[in-house]
Amino acid sequence: MISIKELKHYYTDADGKEVKALDGIDLDIKKGEFVAIIGANGSGKSTLARHLNALLLPTAGTCTVGGLDTMEESNMWDIRQQVGMVFQNPDNQIVAAIVEEDVAFGPENIGVPNEEIRPRVERALAAVGMSDYAKHAPHLLSGGQKQRVAIAGLMALEPQCIVLDEPTAMLDPQGRKEIVATVKSLNQDKGITIVYITHYMTEALAADRVVVMEKGHIRFMGTPKEVFCRVDELEKLGLEAPLAAKVASELRKSGIKLPKDIITDEELAQALCP
Amino acid sequence: MSIKLANVFYTYMTGTPFERQALNDVSLTIAKGEILAIIGHTGSGKSTLVQHLNGLIKPLRGKVTINDIDIAGRGSEAKAARQQVGMVFQYPEHQIFAETVYDDIAFGPRNRGFSAEEVDKQVREAMSFVGLDFETFAERSPFQLSGGQMRRVAIAGVVAMNPDYLVLDEPSAGLDPRSRNAVFKEIMALHKERGIAIVLVTHSMEEAAKYAHRMIVINKGKILFDGKPADIFSNHKDELIAVGMDEPPIYKLSVTLRAKGLEIAAGITDVGELVKNIKKVKGWR
Repeated sequence: MISIKELKHYYTDADGKEVKALDGIDLDIKKGEFVAIIGANGSGKSTLARHLNALLLPTAGTCTVGGLDTMEESNMWDIRQQVGMVFQNPDNQIVAAIVEEDVAFGPENIGVPNEEIRPRVERALAAVGMSDYAKHAPHLLSGGQKQRVAIAGLMALEPQCIVLDEPTAMLDPQGRKEIVATVKSLNQDKGITIVYITHYMTEALAADRVVVMEKGHIRFMGTPKEVFCRVDELEKLGLEAPLAAKVASELRKSGIKLPKDIITDEELAQALCP
Repeated sequence: MSIKLANVFYTYMTGTPFERQALNDVSLTIAKGEILAIIGHTGSGKSTLVQHLNGLIKPLRGKVTINDIDIAGRGSEAKAARQQVGMVFQYPEHQIFAETVYDDIAFGPRNRGFSAEEVDKQVREAMSFVGLDFETFAERSPFQLSGGQMRRVAIAGVVAMNPDYLVLDEPSAGLDPRSRNAVFKEIMALHKERGIAIVLVTHSMEEAAKYAHRMIVINKGKILFDGKPADIFSNHKDELIAVGMDEPPIYKLSVTLRAKGLEIAAGITDVGELVKNIKKVKGWR
């Protein structure tokens, strides 16, 4: 689906200093995969995400989406239709005064025939569990609901891939759960490829693969189990392993024998009380 | 010394079809020196409530007083009272505007008419409080800093005003775990060393459990619970989930372990403490 080879993104800051936001990234994302990207502030996560739908273009190296090179200007609209983006602040992503009109904005804009728009909007709202709110005013919804409307707006464009850049940073616990569940179901039921950037390690547990970034590089990646049992390395990168992994690691350090791959509460409980 | 809200009501867009009651008879006393966490789902009224604390919003009915002075007044006394409350809004880095870190932090003290020496002293103190080295950062453009550093500049700007009460609306939103911890370390130091009362609006149950002495839960413009975080989280789990809140992760883990028969003590909020407790009940040393 997405193939990134030796991708570099350099720019010059206001002091004339060269900043290497991405410094040689190699990453292949398969169709239907759910990839979480974690890393400290400034590690390059968001820069990388913006290459996936040609909002940014490589300084060197290549980024191809569904076989289309982002450097090729004529590919831009195809790529942006395939890859939709969701950002932190739901209020900045809503354009209309009625939920269904907001969701219809995208398809109208790309010239989807009128008779096809309504079914698309209905399908998109159903996919994010917001059908009951079609006639509501978006500004009166909760944060999680607004964010789901934003995702529905992308779904109405029938993308292959959705990139979410810290979609839960401004949400309450209920809203966070809603978004993770929605994303998971789009991935599993509709086969949408997901790239999910987050500072919440527990949310990254839902992914097939976790990519850990630092200073414009990928430091390591693997399944959530493979990544989150590396408690000390994560800490050095300014990140935090899930609580159960941290507790297990502390116990192991004081000489207690526990399996190495404990990352959930249940696994820890099972290991302590077999 | 306290901020008092007495039977405060507030409604947005009164007299229009969009009328929405945001606060419904809220009474609350915030004592100087305490750490109060305010939790509630988006739209519950948290932000409306804290904007009453320094008169950004005036109650439709009811009264807000600081040390018995009604802050809705026009006089210099009311103004001085309002200035005792410093506000750090969500994403405070978006409110940075000056060309250098120094000028941004100095804006408040200068505005208050302090002398240049006094301003300089406040800026230096505020920067050292939030862990920004003066020599390194004072002349830098704040827009060249990382997200966590910009947030510290914004907090320093409020600290330089020397408030008795510091209100922080989701100070850790969008920060990575290390920056989150760093910001809280500074907030706790402010509380400890200057005795500043902290009002913390947060979506993180973990932060509320770990840092606050007292917690209030807001729902539909009313105070649903007011008490010690440990008591509320342990005794009202289902009600919290019903209003969109949750248990802190460490409580969840403790509950799971207890369900398996490990007699983990209630109310643990620290990883180290939990590890010790597990070792104790398992008879490991």
